[in-house]
Amino acid sequence: MTDDVDIIPQLKKIAIFSGLSDDVLVTIAQRATKRKLAPGDVLMKKGDPGDSLFLIHEGWVKITTVDSKGEELILNKWGAGAAIGEMSLLDGGMRSASAVALEDTEVLELSREAFEEIVKSPVVSLAIIKDSTRRLRFATTYIERAIDLAQKIAAGDYSFLEQSQALINDNDDSKAAQMLSAFFTMVRKVKEREDGLKQQLEKLTFEIDQTRRKKEFEEITGTEFYANLKEQAKALREKRAQE
Amino acid sequence: MNKGKIVSIHSFRGGTGKSNTTANLAAQVALAGKRVGVVDTDIQSPGIHVLFGLDERKMGKTMNDFLHDKATIREIGLPIHENVGGAVGLSKLKDTHIWLFPSSISGRDISQILKEGVDFNKLNVGLQTTISEFDLDYLFIDTHPGLNEETLLSIATSDVLIIILRPDNQDLQGTSVTVDIARSLDVPNLFLMINKALPKYDPVQLKKEIELQFNAPVAGVLPLSFDMADNASSDLFSLRYPDHEWSKGLRGVAEAILALDNK
Ligand SMILES: Nc1ncnc2c1ncn2[C@@H]1O[C@H](COP(=O)(O)OP(=O)(O)OP(=O)(O)O)[C@@H](O)[C@H]1O
Ligand SMILES: [Mg+2]
Repeated sequence: MTDDVDIIPQLKKIAIFSGLSDDVLVTIAQRATKRKLAPGDVLMKKGDPGDSLFLIHEGWVKITTVDSKGEELILNKWGAGAAIGEMSLLDGGMRSASAVALEDTEVLELSREAFEEIVKSPVVSLAIIKDSTRRLRFATTYIERAIDLAQKIAAGDYSFLEQSQALINDNDDSKAAQMLSAFFTMVRKVKEREDGLKQQLEKLTFEIDQTRRKKEFEEITGTEFYANLKEQAKALREKRAQE
Repeated sequence: MNKGKIVSIHSFRGGTGKSNTTANLAAQVALAGKRVGVVDTDIQSPGIHVLFGLDERKMGKTMNDFLHDKATIREIGLPIHENVGGAVGLSKLKDTHIWLFPSSISGRDISQILKEGVDFNKLNVGLQTTISEFDLDYLFIDTHPGLNEETLLSIATSDVLIIILRPDNQDLQGTSVTVDIARSLDVPNLFLMINKALPKYDPVQLKKEIELQFNAPVAGVLPLSFDMADNASSDLFSLRYPDHEWSKGLRGVAEAILALDNK
């Protein structure tokens, strides 16, 4: 995979490469290898060590995992231009999901060895560090925002919903933005339910049985003990009033 | 003679929050610079002393000993402000003046008191002596639920009676009789306090409705709160969580008591 020029814009879309110059991207493209998949072919398996990045050039793959019952659960579908497993190049972590081709698919594979060759250049590695840091900062900002909003919700303050659009920046990392926007949808639903409950504030329907009230009063006040007490209390209050 | 006021806290049913309310009201009034006493009527089951962080083993002489001439009031009063410990809320009391007076004028004891002729006057002298010996501005009494003779004694001697109720028909029925009794015994100041109010009721409307039913002021509508239930008996809630809705409501009741002095 050497001479394919339209690969460059695609590589640029991969977050960790977004800060790299075209020259470097060409080197990367040269080191990448092309792989063809038939429908049903497994590109990567959940739990395998992640040691390469795939760039879908043509076709579709599904990202799957298994649910608690052991059944396949499709998390996502990706088509041309999408990159899969980019984080693995940096942290060598395990695959968090599987990827299976849905149709005839062509991907570019960049192995970690090849990647490590490229990052030997300080210019390249610095660009990657800068970009990773920028994304980390965005993620942190979003988490802080979410904590702040969660505290508002706990206090019953939903006023921020009116300006929720302004809180999501289009340039922000798309996953974080997705998370915040899902958060807002959830809060709107909660608020609706709460408003509904408030409107249903129960009518007060208290009723005192006056006959019973009178009867119980007379039972208590009808004793000798009470008559004495009442008299003593009266005397005491009069005495106190004079002091 | 005595300027100190006796404030009784009562409720028709048990578990309405009397002990928590009494302890917190006493603490708030003490924080307002008043000299305060609290009569603990229940040293067996977890009573007020627990809220003040005191151990029952520390409590030697009780009010009963005083009523039977076996102890002086001086020997009975425990200075809470000198034993605040490390609890966040309680430790705010260290510059105040607040004493606990353990007593067990309940059940068997009360019938004994009555039989032996320790009557209303004697109890009253006991309370008045407590007030004068410690130069108290307020003496709070946490009563037992229901209208037994002991509670009637306590109501009869009170300058201020606070009846706590939960907003439901059973409590309203029982409270109505207590209100009638308080009026029959000429209690000069009667307040109602709603505790454990469910969020399904609008507090403003609730206050209005209850005031209408009893023709008596509602000094506070305090919400049912899980925080309150969680904190149970480990510290004084209104001192530990001053910004909580329950604490705000409670301070309102304390202010109503303090305002009586300016009347
Ligand atoms: N507003 C409230 N919300 C939730 N729980 C409360 C509230 N007020 C009091 N409680 C809880 O209710 C229980 C009973 O409170 P407390 O002991 O003060 O009541 P009491 O009237 O003195 O009870 P008793 O009649 O048994 O002496 C405690 O566990 C307390 O923490
Ligand atoms: Mg109690």
